[in-house]
Amino acid sequence: MSPGSLFPSALIEPAAARALAGGSWRSIAIDLLGRPPLAAERTAWGARPMAEVVDELCAGPEFWQNWLEEQLYYFLLIDNFRPETEGVTTLPAALAGGKLGVVEALHRICLSSSFDRRNPGPDTFVSVVMEQLLGITVQKVPRELEIGKKLYDGASGKFLGQAGSSQADVVHIAIEDPRAARHFLTREYQRLLRREPEPKALEAEARRLSAEPGAFPALVRDWFASPAYAERLTQRAPLSNRLFVRALFVDLMGRLPEPDEGQRIRSAMDGLADSRPLRALVARLLLDSGKVSLPERAALTDPEAWIGETFERLLGRPLKESERTEFLAAFADPACRPATVLYAIVSHPEYQTW
Amino acid sequence: MRRPERKTKRMLVISLSGGIRSRETFGTPANVPNLMRLAAQGVTYPRTRASNLGHFGATLSIFTGISEARGIRDNARGTDPTLFEYLRKDLGWSAGDVWISTSGGAQESNVSYSLHPEYGSAFGASSLDGDGIFNAEFKGILDAYGKPREMPPAEVALLERMRGSIGGADRALAEEAETSARVERFLLDELERGTQDLNGIGASDAKALKVARNLLAVFRPRFLSVVLRDADVAHSSFNNYVQVIRRNDEMLGQLLDSLRRDRELAETTSILVVPEFGRDADLNSRRGLDHGDGSDDFRYVTMVCAGPDFRRGEVVNEEVRTIDVCSTVCDLLGAEARYARGSRLPRLLS
Repeated sequence: MSPGSLFPSALIEPAAARALAGGSWRSIAIDLLGRPPLAAERTAWGARPMAEVVDELCAGPEFWQNWLEEQLYYFLLIDNFRPETEGVTTLPAALAGGKLGVVEALHRICLSSSFDRRNPGPDTFVSVVMEQLLGITVQKVPRELEIGKKLYDGASGKFLGQAGSSQADVVHIAIEDPRAARHFLTREYQRLLRREPEPKALEAEARRLSAEPGAFPALVRDWFASPAYAERLTQRAPLSNRLFVRALFVDLMGRLPEPDEGQRIRSAMDGLADSRPLRALVARLLLDSGKVSLPERAALTDPEAWIGETFERLLGRPLKESERTEFLAAFADPACRPATVLYAIVSHPEYQTW
Repeated sequence: MRRPERKTKRMLVISLSGGIRSRETFGTPANVPNLMRLAAQGVTYPRTRASNLGHFGATLSIFTGISEARGIRDNARGTDPTLFEYLRKDLGWSAGDVWISTSGGAQESNVSYSLHPEYGSAFGASSLDGDGIFNAEFKGILDAYGKPREMPPAEVALLERMRGSIGGADRALAEEAETSARVERFLLDELERGTQDLNGIGASDAKALKVARNLLAVFRPRFLSVVLRDADVAHSSFNNYVQVIRRNDEMLGQLLDSLRRDRELAETTSILVVPEFGRDADLNSRRGLDHGDGSDDFRYVTMVCAGPDFRRGEVVNEEVRTIDVCSTVCDLLGAEARYARGSRLPRLLS
């Protein structure tokens, strides 16, 4: 174990201690940073133990920026409702610096004016706080909803067993409820490990998070060291539109989209139940824009090696024999450009999973 | 028993979601001349009961025929099959036959199909969110990167050959790719038609209705649904809410006119318009209207149905429910809403 690592030795599985295949690094980077590895990272991480790299990533501001984006999306605080106030935009730095814990960060998000605008009126506001922060089905507890609405309007009452008398109190009380940490950890576990947490472990982790507000990165590291994450690495799931856009830019342009640019494209894709046609359109836009660094066809003296490397990089796996035959035959035709090869891969459903 | 032959071959269902009271529609006919025109040609149900399930849950229940609580910001698909899935599975319709045009962004595309094990994505509707795609900002992306070049047929064939080999050949994927290419073309054309230039209060709904009008012309779907949302501006402004209702009615008028001009569509299309729920009886402290007071203004909305098989100029005062839409549409088109809990609308057929 590397010095300073927060991986508990007892939990380290072989996968956490050894170097991984390229496809796993792609998954880990998308899970933690919301993007595939950059070229320099692919080289640097290749031979390092997973635990060491995960430790490093969880300590950085990019991890927290990605975490914040996931939370804002969860609350649907996107597009016109995206919070731009300092209280929210400074969260990644504050979280990375250990000045704040995740539950307090959620508190700040829910107190933002964007959250209020997104959830106008007492019925909507209190329902969303109860549903999104605590995982409560409000229709099952209509009395609590009614009390919460009274607090929202400035009257005094006991909401979820605690006294309050304002809209802000609705949020304070919900955040301090033990269900808030449990619900947060459940949805983060589902997001990162693609399965339900074990109830006992969840209880212990929720207690730990309440006692140590800055414990979330350590919990993530534990999760990544577990057999459950090793199993998750063997599964593929569809990329969300946000992750797809970021992956596409990194893979084709070698950089992330500008925040505004990424947001606009993601928002357009969100408008389609099946966003594949628009994903394909955006991929073609980029490939035909002249802004993607593409090798000259004539310079590719070993097309098989280039196609194989492209498969490894974009799909995280080696080229299969049948694919090798078809791609090489197609590429032998002068009508096939390097951009055509890239387009075939990034517009295929497999590229849209990780 | 053999199902009677009906003239209805296509249906258009417009969900006036966002919370609209009957007071500002049928109670103020000047706000909605086109809806009144439609009502005069069909059947009106002024006692249509809705449930307080939040916008998303209430809208979803129209399409599933099941009143089920969903979180207001629940950005996930439902577990009950939708109308779209019943139609596609039972009638063997393709994704291009069944569409939904929305105005509410990410959350609403979840209406297009459920996670039900017998149905799901394979039977979902094709969906387009007007405001998500056709906005000036997205057009700006197109301007920044330029339009994609036309791919010569020889290159397309090579592309398909390579793409088809990834992970092993799959015929279903090839068919999907064809639909995908048509949608891709539609998106580019729509951007050129200037849909992104609609702006102001109610612009998202206006785009959804305009997209629906163009979808009808290009894809001629057998089932098209439009889900609107902008009326929810009522929380903070009653005047803006009324403005949204008027603008939607104007766009509805354009959609209906476009349908009427196409003889084949006019003779075979039935239309159903319904809000997901109403709004409170009284103004709030911001001079707006919330939703959730349990009043009749909130719980009862007015539904209108017009089509070649329906009675004309009839008002049915019997209580019906918004969840009856699913069973009624399925019955009309020949599908079975197996899990829906609604009923067929009474006194609808002529």
